[in-house]
Amino acid sequence: MSLALIAALPFIGALLPGLMIRAGRNVCASLTFATTALALIGLMMNAPAVLWRGEVVTEGWEWLPQIGLNVTFMLDGLGFLFATMILGIGLLIITYARFYLSKTDPMGNFYTYLLLFQGAMVGIVLSDNILLLLIFWELTSLSSFLLIGYWKHLPEGRQGARMALTVTGLGGLAMIGGMLILGQIVGSYDISVIIQSGDLIRSSDLYLPALILILLGAFTKSAQFPFHFWLPHAMAAPTPVSAYLHSATMVKAGLFLMARLWPALSGTPEWFWIVSTAGLITMVLGAVIALFKDDLKALLAFSTVSHLGLITMLLGFGTEYAATAAVFHIINHATFKAALFMTAGIVDHEAHTRNIRLLGGLRKLMPVTFLIGTIAALSMAGIPLFNGFLSKEMMLEAAHEEGTWFTVLATIGAIFSVAYSFRFIVHTFLGPVRDDYPHKPHDPGFGMWVSPAILVVMVLVIGLFPAQTVGHFVDVVASAVTGGEIHTHLALWHGVTAALIMSGIAVGVGIVILAFQRSLAPIWDNARRPEAKAMFDWVIHRAAKGANELTDALHDGAISRYLGIFTTVILVYGAWAFAGGEFSQGTRPLLPIGPVEVVFFALLMAASLGVVLTHRMRFVSLIVISICGLVVSMTFVQFSAPDLALTQLTVEVVTIILLLLALNYLPKETPVESSGARRLRDGVIALATGGGVGMLAYAILTRDMSLPTIADYHVENSYIGGGGTNVVNVILVDFRGFDTMGEITVLGIAALVIFAIVEGLLQGPASRRLANWVPDMAQARDRHPLMMVVATRVALPIALVVGMYIFLRGHNQPGGGFIAGLVVAIALLMQYMASGFAFSQARQKVAYHGMISAGVLVAVLTGTASVVLGWNFLTSTNFHVHIWPLDDIHLASAAAFDLGVFLAVVGAVMLALASLSRIGRRAGEGINLTPMDVDPSAANPVGGVDMSRDLNPEDR
Amino acid sequence: MTSLDLSIALPEILLSLWAMVALMAGAYFGKDRLAQALTWATVAVFVLLSILIGVQEPVAQQAFGGLFVADGFARFAKMAILLSGAAVLVMGMDYLERTKMMKFEYPILVSLATVGMMVMVSAQDLITLYMGLELQSLALYVLAAFRRDSVKATEAGLKYFVLGALASGLLLYGASLVYGYAGSTMFADIAGTIHGDHLPVGLLMGLAFMLAGLAFKVSAVPFHMWTPDVYEGSPTPVTAFFATAPKVAAMALLARVTFNAFGHAPGDWGQIVGLLAGLSMIVGAIGALGQANLKRLMAYSSISHMGFALLGVTAGSEAGVKATMLYMAIYLTMSIGVFAFMLTMRRDGRPVQGISDLNMLSKSQPRQALALLVLMFSLAGVPPLIGFWAKYAVLAAAIASGYVVLAVVGVIGSVIGAFYYLRLVYFMYFGTETDPLDDDGVPAQRWMTLAAALITVLGVVNLFGIEGAATMAAQALVH
Repeated sequence: MSLALIAALPFIGALLPGLMIRAGRNVCASLTFATTALALIGLMMNAPAVLWRGEVVTEGWEWLPQIGLNVTFMLDGLGFLFATMILGIGLLIITYARFYLSKTDPMGNFYTYLLLFQGAMVGIVLSDNILLLLIFWELTSLSSFLLIGYWKHLPEGRQGARMALTVTGLGGLAMIGGMLILGQIVGSYDISVIIQSGDLIRSSDLYLPALILILLGAFTKSAQFPFHFWLPHAMAAPTPVSAYLHSATMVKAGLFLMARLWPALSGTPEWFWIVSTAGLITMVLGAVIALFKDDLKALLAFSTVSHLGLITMLLGFGTEYAATAAVFHIINHATFKAALFMTAGIVDHEAHTRNIRLLGGLRKLMPVTFLIGTIAALSMAGIPLFNGFLSKEMMLEAAHEEGTWFTVLATIGAIFSVAYSFRFIVHTFLGPVRDDYPHKPHDPGFGMWVSPAILVVMVLVIGLFPAQTVGHFVDVVASAVTGGEIHTHLALWHGVTAALIMSGIAVGVGIVILAFQRSLAPIWDNARRPEAKAMFDWVIHRAAKGANELTDALHDGAISRYLGIFTTVILVYGAWAFAGGEFSQGTRPLLPIGPVEVVFFALLMAASLGVVLTHRMRFVSLIVISICGLVVSMTFVQFSAPDLALTQLTVEVVTIILLLLALNYLPKETPVESSGARRLRDGVIALATGGGVGMLAYAILTRDMSLPTIADYHVENSYIGGGGTNVVNVILVDFRGFDTMGEITVLGIAALVIFAIVEGLLQGPASRRLANWVPDMAQARDRHPLMMVVATRVALPIALVVGMYIFLRGHNQPGGGFIAGLVVAIALLMQYMASGFAFSQARQKVAYHGMISAGVLVAVLTGTASVVLGWNFLTSTNFHVHIWPLDDIHLASAAAFDLGVFLAVVGAVMLALASLSRIGRRAGEGINLTPMDVDPSAANPVGGVDMSRDLNPEDR
Repeated sequence: MTSLDLSIALPEILLSLWAMVALMAGAYFGKDRLAQALTWATVAVFVLLSILIGVQEPVAQQAFGGLFVADGFARFAKMAILLSGAAVLVMGMDYLERTKMMKFEYPILVSLATVGMMVMVSAQDLITLYMGLELQSLALYVLAAFRRDSVKATEAGLKYFVLGALASGLLLYGASLVYGYAGSTMFADIAGTIHGDHLPVGLLMGLAFMLAGLAFKVSAVPFHMWTPDVYEGSPTPVTAFFATAPKVAAMALLARVTFNAFGHAPGDWGQIVGLLAGLSMIVGAIGALGQANLKRLMAYSSISHMGFALLGVTAGSEAGVKATMLYMAIYLTMSIGVFAFMLTMRRDGRPVQGISDLNMLSKSQPRQALALLVLMFSLAGVPPLIGFWAKYAVLAAAIASGYVVLAVVGVIGSVIGAFYYLRLVYFMYFGTETDPLDDDGVPAQRWMTLAAALITVLGVVNLFGIEGAATMAAQALVH
């Protein structure tokens, strides 16, 4: 039968039990049995080719060839052995489970999970592609999770399932990494190719990481030290599950993988030490612990751990003899251990307890069970005539060849193995019949004992006639594992060898230890030793806590920390990039440093420092900031950039005034929230960042770029193309007119947004706070001082004329709509400052919203006009105008555009001011309709202070 | 500017027009009453546009003098962006209705952000890049603070804005350095000035700063700090949007810049991107371990996933880009499924988002629980679900390019990550019994979760042919 079909049959069959559960439990079990049997028959049809003709059956097709994934299956001796075990023992377990599960357990689910698991296992052993193998590998983790957690009502079941899934799942993911590396080394993901490329793999630099990652997967799956702890906890599962997963199949997947990759990975010191040491420790540790377990299943679980360790150790030796012994023991262990688990399940089922201390004397009550259990346990102990003896002899022989330490420790393992095996027999079945069993036991029905019975028959037959029964089979499998031709001579009697002596010692000492078990047990129980479950929980707990601590350290919610990390990383980036290349001195000569520059920069630095020092006093720091702005505009003057200086100056004035007005309603001081250490840290970061930016700027300014500067282009074309000699203005209104149009739109929107926010503010809870606002600073007594009113009044027409002038000359000389707008805005601002908003508002009828939109519209229309005239959008032209008595006025069409800029700027500033004044009025500022507090020319000099707060409720 | 230019950028233009029309309609007729209709219409527009993009000729077409390109890579990313955006809009409506947050601005902001993203992935010039990026970011800033009456949301939005402004500034700073040293803002010209395998210092510095700015947008460690806060603070539909389309766009943009402009020197930026990838995979995984809030958990999870996607970019090869694009498409699918479920999470009518709220979901909503289980396993990268193939592809690409250490870091990250995904499954299947969640999710959400789970399983067969598209995308970018 096709290999793919064999692998697929359990998956297809998994649908049946779930669907057919209504037809009854027997139908359900039979269907599961039939599916498995069919798969087994299919497998056997390949037996002649694999076992006698020595072929490797392969088949497959491409699935996702781009990523190296092919669905390819192969069947050689090793795969055949495991597949037979999986399906064969599967049949027995299915039969057993039918009688084991109680009426209340949902049997359909159980068989569905079981078949899924079976399919995944068969998939693992038949895969010829490591990616495909990985898929099946993880599927076993998932389906075993469902099986172990089958009894959902038991908390141990859930915890056991979780631990098993965590450990094996994590191992499996680590293995993915290993497999990827392996595939990368070989250049193929096909196992048949990989196992041919052992030398290539072993000589690769990546051998060790690949080995460790793959072994992580194998060790976790096969419960090898130090990952052995999960297996006993998974025993909370129903016994059929334990028998199937934890003795015969799943835990052997790790062994399978090690055996499968044996030709590719073994034979190096790393392999030897990691694998055989882990195996040896596991074997001894598991055996010792098993002796002191009172739960029958726990005893068997640790015994399984021990035997898996034994096989792992043999694979680790890396010799062909040891590998053969490993293969043989895999077969033997599967037979006797599954039988033992089922025996334990029968005892549990009948006596309603698995506690060995409550048992004893079952020999008379359950003779059949006794017979089965005893034969299997004797085999586990390694007593002659049973199959366990043969492979154990081979193990001891192999260990003996590896030196003293291995000999001694292997013997110790064997001693304890004998002790717990006998304990299983003696303390459960022998001794007097008790009358305090939780439930009076008797032999179960045929259906329950037939499965273990079949297994113990095999134990006996193989034990007595090894060469005739499985000799050839072992040869084929061992050859498949090692990749060589192997012919072993399995026989009961080899003469008196070292192994036989070790065996003899083991049996003798083992029986002695068992005799003292009852007195040793309290000592063992009281001994302090690492408890795996507690450690696992501790690790998980610590990991979660550590993760939380790290996360909290990174994300404490404070944006200052975020910004700190952000900036530091940027610094590192900059430094890294800088270190990555060669730095050369700039080529441009430095300008001479004159006294003016020195003063400017000293002032700038002092002001910057001042901002840092005074930043808690908001007004003061604002004033200091304005010094920075002034110095910058002075610097522009110094370097002959009057346009920029003018712009900078006016922008500075407007923003500082508006900020001052806004700050008035906010706390005047910033509270201290940071510690000195943190300020120091931030200071260091700030200094380093500033230094970095400064150095970058220096580096750039001192060298000529490879490309011509765009400034040259603009200077050349400013007059020719834009009709103006003020390059900055021509750039604004012509070269980059489109940008400017966008900018004034944004400016207008910003002003509108301020207006809208204030609108919302005055309706929310903030409004109440404002209404109750008490000035936190002493107020000046004269809100509208005479001198200021007079001065601003005088200045207004002058300022307007200056604005006009700046506007008109803008195209050719420093100036332009933007600066003019700011100048006019400042002049108007001063009126409001001096005489109050209501007074000025009453004399100024322009709606600011309208002003902004008029500005934007004018700008757009100017642009559109050129389109109408057949040019591109915003193409400008220029002409001269003579208006008597004025001089010749050189106008560009761009001037209209500039007018738009002018209007938008004035409107935006004034709208912001209007919004601020609304806040002021809500905060209780008086409304005055007279220009000044004391009007000396009026009849009643003390005029307008707070004429009435209720005068115009609309305005409040 | 010719009509050909306009036809190449037609999807973007149409979507911008739609956003403006919708804005006008919303502002002048009906306000929030129109919200639902506008959202549906936006969904329709998204789907139609993605069809329009899908049927475009599969050749690279440049527009606006080479500032903008419509090639296979852009098409792939745009379709992913549009379709995920549509899905997020559909599944979020019910949530917004119930929490009374269904404002007509919502679909409009999403549309505008989407236009920005589409421009980003088509950018062939630093200025185009910045324009798209800012259009997207500005809309996202507003969306992040969409729940205006919540202090947490406002704070998150503000943090996002401040950090985002810093990142944008940094990007611009880097871009100006690049321009200064390369003499052009066009990617092709920048690439033309690079001779040999290494970048001159100035370009390298510019690139480093630009990558920092872009890393912020993909929320790669250490520029990720905004992510958990914003994810938690935003309304869940907005979070779902954050988790999907913008990630694709930013990742595509990052690939665009590195390959188109600096493709000749993959070793140089490979180090930066590799560092981002490695840190993201680890910090994302570790950060998620201790989270009790599902949205924060998904935030860290997304950080970790972005690390994996960056791993593909790090590889600097065609296989790497392909892996990244595949990864993003798969990540989108899984995220949409998970978020669609999170949108239904309510107890007694109030939205909840704790992990412990999932307790025993398997009992109250078995189908949803199963779907979520599949999605979680897929997110964890457990074979054979497609999440595994995504991880596998990037890891393989990284190893093939010699980044073995990084690949091992990735594996470790996914091992840690598996733990918290499995923890969710544990809660759903073996948790303690508590009051069940309300089971009144609308069909759209339920089907979205189930469909995502189904895709996750069935996608294994041939990845729905998306692989071919990803290959074409990668070829278009790396040539």
